[in-house]
Amino acid sequence: MAGGQIEIINLTKRFDDVVAVDGIDLHIPPGEFFSIVGPSGCGKTTTLRMIGGFEEPTSGRIVLDGVDMQHTPPHKRNVNTVFQAYMIFPHLNVYDNVAFGLRRRRTSKREVKQRVSEVLELVELGRLAQRKPAQLSGGQQQRVALARALILSPSVLLLDEPLGALDAKLRKQLQIQLKALQQRVGITFVYVTHDQEEALTMSDRVAVMNAGHVEQAATPREVYDQPQTRFVADFLGVSNLVHAEAVGREGAGVRLRLGDFEIAARHGVLDDRGLVTCIIRPERIRLEPYESTGENRIPAIVERVVFLGHSVQVSARLAVGQTVQAMVQNTGEAFPYQQGTTVQAHLPADALRVLGADEATPDDPEAARALNGERDGLSADGPPARGSSQPPDEATSAAGPERFTSQARIGDDDV
Amino acid sequence: MSGSGAVSPVPQSPTWSTRLRARPWGGYALAGFVVLYLVWSLAPVLIAFLFSFNHGNSRSVWQGFSTEWWTGPGSVFNVAMYHDAILHSFLLAGIAVAVTVPVGVSLSVFLSRWRGAAARPAGLLATLPLVVPELVLALALFFLVTKLLHFISLGTPAQVIGQVTYILPAVVVITRGRLASIPSGFEEAAMDLGASPLGAFRLVLVPLLGPAILASAIVTFALSIDDFVITQYMSSSSATQSIPMVIYNSTRGSATPALNASAMVVALCTILICGAGYLVYRILNRREEIVVPEAPAEPSGLGPAVGEGAW
Repeated sequence: MAGGQIEIINLTKRFDDVVAVDGIDLHIPPGEFFSIVGPSGCGKTTTLRMIGGFEEPTSGRIVLDGVDMQHTPPHKRNVNTVFQAYMIFPHLNVYDNVAFGLRRRRTSKREVKQRVSEVLELVELGRLAQRKPAQLSGGQQQRVALARALILSPSVLLLDEPLGALDAKLRKQLQIQLKALQQRVGITFVYVTHDQEEALTMSDRVAVMNAGHVEQAATPREVYDQPQTRFVADFLGVSNLVHAEAVGREGAGVRLRLGDFEIAARHGVLDDRGLVTCIIRPERIRLEPYESTGENRIPAIVERVVFLGHSVQVSARLAVGQTVQAMVQNTGEAFPYQQGTTVQAHLPADALRVLGADEATPDDPEAARALNGERDGLSADGPPARGSSQPPDEATSAAGPERFTSQARIGDDDV
Repeated sequence: MSGSGAVSPVPQSPTWSTRLRARPWGGYALAGFVVLYLVWSLAPVLIAFLFSFNHGNSRSVWQGFSTEWWTGPGSVFNVAMYHDAILHSFLLAGIAVAVTVPVGVSLSVFLSRWRGAAARPAGLLATLPLVVPELVLALALFFLVTKLLHFISLGTPAQVIGQVTYILPAVVVITRGRLASIPSGFEEAAMDLGASPLGAFRLVLVPLLGPAILASAIVTFALSIDDFVITQYMSSSSATQSIPMVIYNSTRGSATPALNASAMVVALCTILICGAGYLVYRILNRREEIVVPEAPAEPSGLGPAVGEGAW
């Protein structure tokens, strides 16, 4: 089994008026575990179905190992698919399901028998060969679907949310095993999922899709640490979006002004001036005692503390009015800050990434307010009295410039 | 949540059975009605059956038990009229099944997998004959065959064509119902594994449609045996008389109890064939639960199934 190379060139798919895939380009080298991740309706499954041959591209090309697939029907492509709902034939037992593909190739009975038992061993289903699909658990069905596709030694395996129907615990287990399997058989995996964590865990490279476009395609580390667009930053994990004004270069970075404060950022688009959006991951924000001093520190007031088990999630409102979310590792020690405590939020220059000039219009009230350093209860000059004029409760945070995005996703995916 | 802590019990609305138990007379009345209906519908059939064993020529006055209309010289099996009609009925039914089922199944597969602007109207039109009165269909076909399509001769060919036309929509309805529960992903999976489109149809869709195909065959058989109007219109001579036609034609004349016996032969054969078919259908249906896991489910929180072990 040798991995296949996929070239996707300006691929577009239109359904009536809806553009599902809008001119994407992807290069997938042989043997890569490549994930396409994105929200539902972003075009990831349509892309996969076009590679498999189940949808015909409106325009653009798919080149597999140097051969244009335009006129190749699904059953003649050296590509196999693990479908989202597995699609194991219910009238055939495990053995016949797995042998289905080989029999279409008129393989001799002896070889069929040998290869089926080999591949069933590979997915550890040997003793269930005579079972009917209805008698299998979800995880076992998933392995039958995998075995059925792998037995044909395809150069590319397409997987459409193969773990989507399984429960969280089993999914985690299978992620690791799928990855191990891919490395063992050495073929190209194209893996579609809406689960960003899954994509980050398993892939060599990840393409983040949104509204028919590829926003970024890079290694998991890169898309997480160096997201190129706001969407990528927002979709993969939780990000704080910080609005600031870029005022000029400073060494290897850029100086940003937030109200009365100036901080430095060292990554991203450093040459734009004016209104910019920066991102910083919650786990990179450090909360320090109010007395601490240094670069890139902004006074803040703790608004909410949520214990999550492995970490503590803190919402803190910066003195400039924006609210950020910080994730503090649970090290077993008591967490020193309560609601209402004033702290210094340390936004390390290394963790701040400038996404470039704001796509939001300059008259975006939120951004404008953030820039003007509109503050409530806190000032740069000194700590306010505890529980001062504006208590940090839902009244202010609901109306105020709350900008930690993806909060909802914490509940959804981090099961 | 604005709820006040305590959850008030939802009042259970009484079900029919609890209401009936509460008012036994209502229950008795209902049971009595069912019994009355069964007697009303079945008793005449049983009496007709009984009279095939009458000793004598009467079909209305009981003259003692005899099996002469089943075995004697004037019996159903020895009078050419009855005997030929029974054979002809079964011949027509056999051909009708052989033609209608494959044509109807193919048609419905085509209709349900066809994605185009005309797909919906076509699907509607295909089932329209279901609501066209049979008599109208028969008249239309009669003129078509006698005035336009001279190469179709009245008699068996025209009868088969008529019956197929009449029964086809029923097969389409039955098959499409089942097709709706089979995701197109199965065919895609088959093609993904190297089956041609025709191979996917033959190897995956047809087996999955098994119960629907069998049900179609049963219904076709029963409708064909029972059919009178079209079969009558499309017949040519006494050689192409079916049992319903013989019964209709002779019921006002002086028919012997052999007529009853012939009707019973057809009835019993039909019940047997359809009953056997139904049993097979039940077995097929039980064996072939289509398992389609739910699309991206929320994590259920269940642990791994037994035997997940290493995986």
